[in-house]
Amino acid sequence: MLYHTWTFGLFFALGYSVFLLIRNTRLRVPWLLVLSYVFYAFACPWYLVLLLCATTVDYLAVLGMARTGWKRSFLAAAIVLNLGLLAFFKYAHFFSDILLPVGLSFFIFQSMTYSIDFYRGQVAEEPSFLRYAAFVSLFPQLLAGPIERARNILPQLRQPARITWQDAADGLSLFVVGLFKKVALADYLALYVNKVYDAPDAQNASALVVASAVFAWQIYFDFSGYTDMARGVARALGIRLMLNFDNPYLATGLGDFWRRWHISLSTWFRDYLYIPLGGNRHGELRTYVNMALTMVVSGLWHGATWTFGLWGALHALYRVFTRRLESSPFYTQRVPKFVKRLWVFALVTVAWIFFRAGSFGDACIIVRRIFSSGDWGDPGCPVLVLVLVGSVWLYQIVYQSRWEGLLRLAPVRLALVVLMLLYLVLMRPTETRQFIYFQF
Amino acid sequence: MSRAIANGEHECGPDEHCERAQDTTPFGSNEIRLTPRQWLLALSTLVVLAHVLPSTWRWIEPFDPGPDYRIPYSLGEDYWLYDRWCRQAADTDATLLVGDSVVWGHYVTNRQTLSHYLSQLSGRPFANLGVDGIHPAAMVGLIEHYARALKGRRVLLHCNLLWMSSARHDLQQDEESQFNHPRLVPQFFPRIPCYRESLANKLSNVVERNVAVFGWANHVRAAYFGNSDLGSWTLEHPYDSPFRALTLRLPSPDGPPPEHAKPWTQRGIEMFSPVWVELDTSLQWRCFRRTVEILRARGNRIFVLIGPFNEHMLQDQSRLAYQQRKAEVAAWLARAGVAYLVAPVLPSELYADASHPLADGYAMLAAELLKSPAFTLVEDLGS
Repeated sequence: MLYHTWTFGLFFALGYSVFLLIRNTRLRVPWLLVLSYVFYAFACPWYLVLLLCATTVDYLAVLGMARTGWKRSFLAAAIVLNLGLLAFFKYAHFFSDILLPVGLSFFIFQSMTYSIDFYRGQVAEEPSFLRYAAFVSLFPQLLAGPIERARNILPQLRQPARITWQDAADGLSLFVVGLFKKVALADYLALYVNKVYDAPDAQNASALVVASAVFAWQIYFDFSGYTDMARGVARALGIRLMLNFDNPYLATGLGDFWRRWHISLSTWFRDYLYIPLGGNRHGELRTYVNMALTMVVSGLWHGATWTFGLWGALHALYRVFTRRLESSPFYTQRVPKFVKRLWVFALVTVAWIFFRAGSFGDACIIVRRIFSSGDWGDPGCPVLVLVLVGSVWLYQIVYQSRWEGLLRLAPVRLALVVLMLLYLVLMRPTETRQFIYFQF
Repeated sequence: MSRAIANGEHECGPDEHCERAQDTTPFGSNEIRLTPRQWLLALSTLVVLAHVLPSTWRWIEPFDPGPDYRIPYSLGEDYWLYDRWCRQAADTDATLLVGDSVVWGHYVTNRQTLSHYLSQLSGRPFANLGVDGIHPAAMVGLIEHYARALKGRRVLLHCNLLWMSSARHDLQQDEESQFNHPRLVPQFFPRIPCYRESLANKLSNVVERNVAVFGWANHVRAAYFGNSDLGSWTLEHPYDSPFRALTLRLPSPDGPPPEHAKPWTQRGIEMFSPVWVELDTSLQWRCFRRTVEILRARGNRIFVLIGPFNEHMLQDQSRLAYQQRKAEVAAWLARAGVAYLVAPVLPSELYADASHPLADGYAMLAAELLKSPAFTLVEDLGS
C-alpha cells in the first residue's frame, strides 16, 4: 500500500479513528499490530508468514538468552537464521522466480537489533510477544524504514500514548512535505532520468551528467519523502521515529555525507558490523579494512548485483582516500564550504551512476561517454527540473546558515505549505510510481 | 486530545526553540512545521483557492460555443468543459441532445449533425451535448456528476443498442479489457467484470468527480498540455514555459469532413451477426435506465430516440434479435411514461457503419423526428 494513494488515505482514516478511541486502553498495541498486519497483507498475504518468522526468531532468541546461560549460541542462531532468510530471498532470483518480499531487508534488520542489544545489555527483555510483534511490524516504517532500534520503540509502546494537537499537526507537516517530495519532485525527476538511463548509448555526455545529478536528487526525494511520510504517520500515532535524512547534499565531506544519508542503515552497520569488526581501534590499516568491508556489505544489502557492490566499493574507496584529507587543516580551514559541498556531491553522483544503471555494461557506457566522448550537446533537461532542484537546494543552504530565521517566519512556512498543497492538487501526475527503496 | 502538560513541561510548538524533556528526536531537517491553528488556516486557504480557481478560470477563459457547437474530439474526456458547456446550453431555450458519437457526429462535421438539422428544419435551437465514445455505463456518471445544470430542461436522450450487441460491449466479459471513459463508470457498484482498475485509482476517480478543482485541473491538462501531465509535457518541451502554453484558446469543434465519411459498403465493412445480450441481464441497459431515472428526478422533460441502427448490416437471425430488443426497450419506455421514437431504418447508403449515419442520414432522421407527434408534444410542452 503506497502512502501517496487514496487507498492508504482510507486505510489510515478508518484505522486512526479507532486508534484515537482506544489510545488510552490496553487495546492500543494490539490494534497497532492488527493495522500493521493488514497493511502488510495488502502487498501479499503470504508475506505475513515471513514477518511472523522474523518476529519469532529474535523473540525466542532473547527468551533463550534470558532463561539459559547460552547467550552466544542463541544470538548466533538468531543472526544465522535472520541473515539466512534475508540472503535466500536476496539471491533467490538468480535461480528461480522468487521475488524479494517488500520490506524484508528492513524488518529483519530491525528485529535483529532486539537480540543483539539484549546480548549487549542495552535493552531489557520484552515480556509481551504482542508488543514485540507490534515493534517489528509497525506499519509506518515497515516497508522501507527508518530501521528503528528496539530500545527506542519498545519503551514508547510500553508507555501510555501521549498525543497532542501539536503531534497531529507535526504529523501532518511531515506527511505533506514527504508527499510533495515524492509526488511533485521524485516522480517528476524520474521521467527525465528514466528517459536518459533507459538508452544510455543514445545520449550525449551532457545528458548523462545532468541525468546522473538529477538522479542523485530523485533518490533523495523519493527515499526521504517516504521517510517523512512514515515519520508523520507515526507522529500522529504518538510514536517518534528517528531522523533518517539530514540534508545530505549539504555534506562537506564523505564522512559527513554518511552521517546525513539513510542514517538508520548507516548507524546500524556502524553499530553492528563496523564496531564489532574493531572499528578504528586497531590501527589505521585495520580501520580502512573495516570501513571498506562495511561499505561493500552495505552496497550488497541493496541488492546482489555487480552494480550495487561496485557502488559500495566506490564509497569504500572514497572513504579510504578522503578520510585523512577531510581532517586536514587545509580542508577544514582553507577550502570554502560551497566547494566542499560540490566536491562531495560530485563524488556521490559518480557513485550513483552504478546504483541507477540498468546493468554493469550500462554503467560502463555512461562513465565512458561522460569522461571520453567529448559530445557535450544539449542535455534536453526540462528547465523546471533545474528550477525545482535549485530551489530545494537553496532552501537547505539557507536552513543551515545564519539566515535560518527567515524560514522560521510563520508567513513563510504557511506560504510554502499552501503552495505545496496547491501544486499537489493541480499538478498530480497521471501515474502512481512505486518507491525506489521498496525493491530493497 | 489533551495537551501534554505534566511536571512543568509545556507544549513546544514550531515557533519555539525548546525540546520536550526526554524527547530528543529532531522534528525534521527543515522548518516546514505548522501549529494546529496554522494548519487550519492553510487548509482553509486551500479550500478557498480550490473553489476560486475554477470559477475565476471560467471568467477568464473565453467560451463562446455558438450554434452547432460540440465538445472538440480531443477534449472528449474533459468533463469539466462538458459541465461548462451544459451550463451554457441550459441557459438558452435549446433542446439538449445527449448521447454518444451518433449524437456527436462521428463521421460528419459539426454542421452536419442531428442537432444542426433539427435546428435548421424547425427554426428552434437544439444543442449538441453528445460525447464521442460514451456508452450508457459512462453516460450515467456523466449525467450524474457533470450535467447537473441540465435540471428542468428538455432533453433528447439517444439510446444506441450497439452497446448491448455483445458481452464485450456490455462490459460483462470476465477478462480485463479497455473501454471508453472508465473514469465515469460506476467504480464499485454495480460491479463491472472487465473493469480491473486498482482500488487506489478507483478511489481517485470517485474523489475527482466529487471535487471540482480536480476536474478543472484535468481540463487545463487536456486543453493546453495535450492530455499529459505537466511533467511529461516539460519533457517534450524542456525549454518552454508552461505558462506560455496557457493560450486560453480552446480547440475548435469545426474541422474538415472525416475521411471515412462514405457508405459502409464502400469502406469494406461486411455484414455481421452480433450476439445480442438479453436486456434483463444487460449492464448497459441497466445504466441507461438509471440515466433516465436521474433525468426524471431532476425534472427534465425527456424524449428518447431509439436507433437508428444499420439493420442492413445484420444477418437475418441477428436482425430478428435486434428488433426484439428494440421492442423491449420501447415497451419499457412506454410503461415508464417516457416519450420515445423508434427511428426508422435509413437507406443503406446513408450509413457509415453499424450505427452512424452520414450527413444526409442525419437530415432524414431530423425530418422524421419533427414529424413525430410525441416529439412535437415534448417540444411544445417544454417550451
